[in-house]
Order: sequence, then C-alpha cells, then structure tokens
Amino acid sequence: MQTAGTQGKSVDMAMWARGGSTPLRGALLGLLLERPGYGSELIHRLIGRVGETWRIEPKYVYRLLDQLEREGLVRSEQEPRRDNGRRMRVVYYPTELAGEAVTCWMQTLMPRAPVRLELQAKLAVARERDLPDLLVALRQYERECLALAQLVCPGQGRPRSYKALFTDCVRDSVHAILQAEIDWAARTRRRLREHAGGRA
Amino acid sequence: MPAAVHSLPAGRRGAVEPLLSLRGVVKRYREGGQELTVLDGVSFELAAGAGAGVYGARRAGKSTLLRLVAGIEAPDAGAIVFAGRDLTALSAAGRARLLRGDLALLCAGGWLASPGETVLDHVAVALGSLGMTLAQARRRALETLDAVGVAGLGGERARSLGCYERARVMLARALAREPRLLLVDEPAPLPSVSDREAFCALLRALAHERGFALLVASESLSALSGLQALMSLSAGELCASERGPYAATATATDADAGMDARAGTVFELRPRRAGASP
Repeated sequence: MQTAGTQGKSVDMAMWARGGSTPLRGALLGLLLERPGYGSELIHRLIGRVGETWRIEPKYVYRLLDQLEREGLVRSEQEPRRDNGRRMRVVYYPTELAGEAVTCWMQTLMPRAPVRLELQAKLAVARERDLPDLLVALRQYERECLALAQLVCPGQGRPRSYKALFTDCVRDSVHAILQAEIDWAARTRRRLREHAGGRA
Repeated sequence: MPAAVHSLPAGRRGAVEPLLSLRGVVKRYREGGQELTVLDGVSFELAAGAGAGVYGARRAGKSTLLRLVAGIEAPDAGAIVFAGRDLTALSAAGRARLLRGDLALLCAGGWLASPGETVLDHVAVALGSLGMTLAQARRRALETLDAVGVAGLGGERARSLGCYERARVMLARALAREPRLLLVDEPAPLPSVSDREAFCALLRALAHERGFALLVASESLSALSGLQALMSLSAGELCASERGPYAATATATDADAGMDARAGTVFELRPRRAGASP
C-alpha cells in the first residue's frame, strides 16, 4: 500500500476517498483546485455554497489541511497578509496529485451521512413525564431548521454555468433535507399531542 | 398543552404600526360532522415592504390563512388588522373593496380568461373599478406586463399562453392595482425548478423595487428562500425562525403580553433595508 508520505509521489486514492470526514476533506481539496486559499477563506467559500447546515469547526479544517499536506495533496506557504504585510498567513496550494484525488473522490460512493441522532435518541428512551420537554425540543428543532433554510442563498433562476448549476443542486439538497426534518418534527409533535389528548 | 407565547420586547411594541397584524386567529371547519381546527391561535405581524414565507405541508392551512388575510373568509376568533383596519369588523362589501385595492391574492387556480381576450385587456380589466379610462388602464397594464418581463405578450390571446407566461401575466394582473400587500398561494407551480426559482426571484425583486409587502405560502421550502422571515404552519400552529440574516425579531416573553395563551408566535418584520437584498 502506497501513501504519499512515504513514497512521495503517489497516494492510495481508494483509501483517501473512504477515510473519515470525506465530505469536508473532499470539499476543501476541490476548493483548492479552483484556486489556492487560506483557512478562513476556504471556510467562507464553502459556507457560501452549502450554507450553515454544515457545522464547520475552523480548528478541524486546519487539522484536515495538515492531513492533506502530509498525504501530499496540498502544500502550504507562508505569505504576508494583504492587509498587514508584516503578519504572515498560511496559503494552501494543490499539488499535482490533487486533481486525481478529487476525481477519485467524485467516483466513490460514500457511506450515508448520519442523520441527526439527538432527538431520535431522546424519543427512544423518553418517559411519559418527558412529554412536555420533548414537545418543546421538537418545536425548537423546527425553528432551527427554518433558520438554517433562511441562511441558504436563494436561487436566481436558470443557471448560466455548470458551476451555478452545481451550486443550485446543493441548495436544493439542503432545502429537501430541512423540509423533511420540519415535516417530521411537526408530525411528531402532532402525534404526541393527539395521543396525550386522547388519554386525558 | 399551550404553545409558548412569544412577543416583542415591551419597548418595541407599538413603535411602528405594522401593515398587517394577526392576533390569536382561530379558524374551524366542519368536516363530516367533525370539527376541524385549521388555525389555532395564529399571531404575527408584517411591516410595510417586508417579506415573509409560510411553509406547510398539504392541507396545513396555508390557503385558509391567506384567504383570511384577504378577507375572503372570516375567522372564528381573533383579530386581523390590515393598514389600521380590523378586517373582522368590516362588512363583506368593505372587505371586497380592500381586496380590489390595497391587497392582492395570487393563487395558481385563478386563471379565468374570456375567449378571444388579449393579455393586455386581461390585465387592464382588473383596473376597471379604479375610475380609469380604457386607454389609461391599458397603459398601466402594459407598464405592469413590462415590469414582470412579458411586455411582448400584450397582443397574444390570453387563453393561448403556456404555464410559464401565464404565471407572469397573473402576477402582472395582481400588481396592476399597485397593492401594498401581495399574498401568494404557491408561487409559480411550474414544472422546471429553475423557472420556479426565477419566478420567486422576480417576486422578491419587484417587492423590493415597488415597496409592497409579500406574504408567500408554499409547500416547498425552496420557494420561500430569500424572504426576510420564514414560518412553518402545522397542526394549526405557526412556528417562526428566530435567527438568520433576515430574522424576525422574536423574543420569548411572559404572560403580560396580554395575549391568548394559545397564541403561537408574534414577531415583527422590519422593512428591508436598501441594498440588503440577498
């Protein structure tokens, strides 16, 4: 098995595409292929496309960038900041292996992303007296989903480029997921209340 | 179990008169000998020029909500105040006057064109009761068709239009009277997602340019993006998002809000700031 760290020029693509946190790693590498960037700028670019439905921890992003560098997929350079030339920032560049790695990632079917487990776990072990708290939690969740839906930039109609089309499809996915979650939360609140009303 | 009551902080209440305000609105229907509560204490406020979306699954009560605001139906309890007037206190004739003037309701099923009628006249006819001459009405109709991007269709037969053009002509007809509030029940039920998004973007842009308020109901969340506030309607209750770039200002409060304990959510929408379009 070859890895970039030991062999210098090649990466075990299949392994790379299957590792943990692949959505974020793949997305970061894809962004760097578009153009080089530094940590917070990459996060900004990504949030601009997927909205706030991804919880992106800056610390985690830097760790993943370090990992990509160890794997030989990116290299980093210290460059002076544009706003303050005396301070430096780390700018990441894709290596010649990055394109192949992203292609491999595109071709690899990911295991399903885990659904939000918290409410499921609570419902699974709830006691009768937890009912009021569950109703509040479900409503809060509905609110959160609405707020997340609002953070997604609205579409402007027929996309003019492939890039715009792909971004539109991401937005569609975010909305579809949030819509399903809102429906589920509303339905569950209704069922819990109907049941409680029927027994009262 | 009573839903949480939310209201504005006391200091902000009554600062600016909202264009539309619903307080504890209840609507029940009888269906097969059973009473069905469609809206169970719905409260919210909409400022002039602001935009809000109501998401809800099929049969959640979205159309009922819009019909109540339009004055087509009357609530069983609660108050609906539009531009300082309590709709529930108005006569049927008074409500009808309102619907012909300051308020417009756009819904997908409402396409009734006479045989042979041109698109231009179809829009101009909606201006009939404003005391305009036919020439004035046609001029206004043409302006409005131009604003929604279909000025070229003026001479076409209204009945020959495809669904894409029809949606735009219907919008022009609703806007020709220059309403202060446009109610939209399911914006552009068009087959193509891109066309739907283009129509929603047009709605937002026109609301921004012309300064009318928008209340849009849809069973698709994506049709409501870009509006300043987003609510969901289910089991007769309204749920509003608390944050986001266009967040409704909603704060939890105590019983001194003096509202029906069942009231869902009260929030205020600030008018869009110039240049703050998403």
